[in-house]
Amino acid sequence: MMDLSFSPAQQLLQQSGRTFLQQRCPLERVQEVALDPRGFAADLWKEIAALGWPGLLISPELGGSGGSTGEALALVEELGRACFPSPFIASAVVATTALGLAGGRRARDLLAALAMGERICTLAVLEEAGRLDPDALTLPIAAPGRVTGRKLFVPDAHVATDVIVLGRGATGPTALLLPMDRAGIGAHALDSMTGDKLFELELTDVAIRPDDVLGAPGGGWALLGPAFRLGALARCAEMVGAAQRVLELCVEHARVRVQGGRPIGGHQAIQHACADLYRDVESARWLTWEAEWTLATGRPDADSAVAAAKAYVAEASLRVARRGHQIMGAIGYCEEHPLHLFHKRILAAALDAGDSTRHLDAVAKSLGLP
Amino acid sequence: MDFGFSAAEQAFAEEVRAFLRAHPPETFPSDGTDAGYGSGAHSRTFTRALGERGWLSLTWPREHGGQERPMGFLLVLLEELAAAGAPFGPLAGCLQVAESIIRNGSETLQREILPQIAAGLATFWQGYSEPGAGSDLLALETRARLEGDHWILDGRKIWSSHAGIATHGTVLARTDPASTRSRGLSMLMVDNRLPGLDVRPIRSLTGQVYHYEVFMDGVRVPRDFIMGRPGEGFGQLLRGLDTDRFWGRFYKAPFLRRILGLLVEHVRAERPDDAVARHRLAHAATEIAALRALFRRAAWLIERGLPATGEVSAAKVMADELGQRVLSLGMELLGPSGVLRAGSRAARLRGEIEHQYQTSWGHTLAGGTSEIQRTTIAVRVLGLPAEPRVRG
Repeated sequence: MMDLSFSPAQQLLQQSGRTFLQQRCPLERVQEVALDPRGFAADLWKEIAALGWPGLLISPELGGSGGSTGEALALVEELGRACFPSPFIASAVVATTALGLAGGRRARDLLAALAMGERICTLAVLEEAGRLDPDALTLPIAAPGRVTGRKLFVPDAHVATDVIVLGRGATGPTALLLPMDRAGIGAHALDSMTGDKLFELELTDVAIRPDDVLGAPGGGWALLGPAFRLGALARCAEMVGAAQRVLELCVEHARVRVQGGRPIGGHQAIQHACADLYRDVESARWLTWEAEWTLATGRPDADSAVAAAKAYVAEASLRVARRGHQIMGAIGYCEEHPLHLFHKRILAAALDAGDSTRHLDAVAKSLGLP
Repeated sequence: MDFGFSAAEQAFAEEVRAFLRAHPPETFPSDGTDAGYGSGAHSRTFTRALGERGWLSLTWPREHGGQERPMGFLLVLLEELAAAGAPFGPLAGCLQVAESIIRNGSETLQREILPQIAAGLATFWQGYSEPGAGSDLLALETRARLEGDHWILDGRKIWSSHAGIATHGTVLARTDPASTRSRGLSMLMVDNRLPGLDVRPIRSLTGQVYHYEVFMDGVRVPRDFIMGRPGEGFGQLLRGLDTDRFWGRFYKAPFLRRILGLLVEHVRAERPDDAVARHRLAHAATEIAALRALFRRAAWLIERGLPATGEVSAAKVMADELGQRVLSLGMELLGPSGVLRAGSRAARLRGEIEHQYQTSWGHTLAGGTSEIQRTTIAVRVLGLPAEPRVRG
């Protein structure tokens, strides 16, 4: 018989994560970071580094805690619940996974620094087409050589110290690991309504040394593919946490908001909307955990399970956010109300690590529809 | 977190699959319509075949003739049967009645009815709803009074599935005439052969008979053909509600996955370049996967004896509404052929889609409407205030 309980380590992370975020990252703080175009909670990043969060997926010999993906996901669900603004998923999940798979001195040195919270690594993969697809890469990579071109939708470039750049090499997709202060790298902020900090990375005649290549030349997708697969799952957990919080905000509002002499939550129209939010949150949560199980146990259907989860959780969580606005009424339309923060965080997560079009395409292939 | 079945459960799944390979579902005669929940048609022969293998008493205590297998065996059995499209229509009802008899008694029912269930000889209809008591079940008017060694049962039940071909009914009746609402109700076990019972078919929009109306006129039910003690009926109903809803819908995810497989084959064969159909099928697959995950969560809670009201109600709502969406998609993908019945020239997929499409419109009504489920989630799980009752 299956066992759908959280391990003691997961429970510890959930509890300590929730307590820390309640105390140190209230929604006012989330709001402040979201509204500042170059916002970043440097103090909180330092504190979570002291708690070991950025090193959760990094091996103990490099100063991490060697945690499981299930432990990372349990924590990320709490980050989503708090709408915690940080480069955690990009740096501590996706980049960390790619660096771990790549190995080598450069990657190991960086992982050790990431575990300490001393450095932050971002990813420059998408281009104009916005498609997470190795076939869509156009940035020409020569190593050794010089690289000129642009990358789009690069998260948190304003605080990242390092960047993994994926481009088209002679033998296939090739990943580079570059320090952000390498001459010729410029970052220009995109103006996103989600509050996420996204950038265009401009590479101008950037010198590439042989040891900048991460993993094998032509083997970039072998690193980034699995990294984004885990990133997609982490985004699922983040969306579930955020959607759970939207549900809680809406139920609380429906309980206390009195109109016509009784709480609006006493009316079936509102009750049934709240019940639908509950259904969406619960189904999204357990599909996420089932996909995590397929990945953690190396089942052959892991790819399609993660793809299905990402597509479904994005749809269900967005439904929660959008319906939430209707339940919350006019107050939820105000910038000072937190609802839009969760809505936008879910939207950003839904688009990251492959949007629904990409994931549904993978699901279709798994059904035998090429 | 482990969503997998144990080695023993997986071995059992293989045993079930081997049985289904050796005895293909279509070789069993059907004697009652497929209501579309995923449990296929009503087939006495198939039910008896399950009984012969001991699969109707998998989880019962040994003292009642069961095998005390973990609940996972039952989940495996239902998933495999549904995936194969087997005709196990009466199974969920048998499970529910057996569970209630084991939990509540009487000893007579345990002695006389349980062996018949285990052998696949007894199947059941539910006598809950009445013409004036649908979503408001407590408005029921069926009554039973004790006279010597018998309950004298009078009343009228409706929407009782397979009542015309089942062997017994479990009838909720007021046994304390002075009582109102939830008090004074009892659950009686009524043998279909008793005089005074008039079971009349209701033809549904599918053109077939699944539901019956049951008239009870002075039916003499032996005194100990009662679940537990008089007056315990409503408590039994409530206690069993989550598990009943769970077992009545659990196999819908594998069933919808089977339907999806049929539609995928159809699209591959007849419209392989249809990108919209491909996208919509993939989308449906994600929803079916989510439904299955939610049911697994509910199953785990039930197995642990933890409250599962919210999960079960949410899963039922989702199962029934998703079923309607998947079958509606099927109707669209089949085009003009979609409406053709099995056997008609130009029918596709053995006419299964049109039948299941039609049945799907009853599912959001049966077993507690989707509206009742949503109210249950809102009030009992989310803690929103109940709507005031209007007393008539």
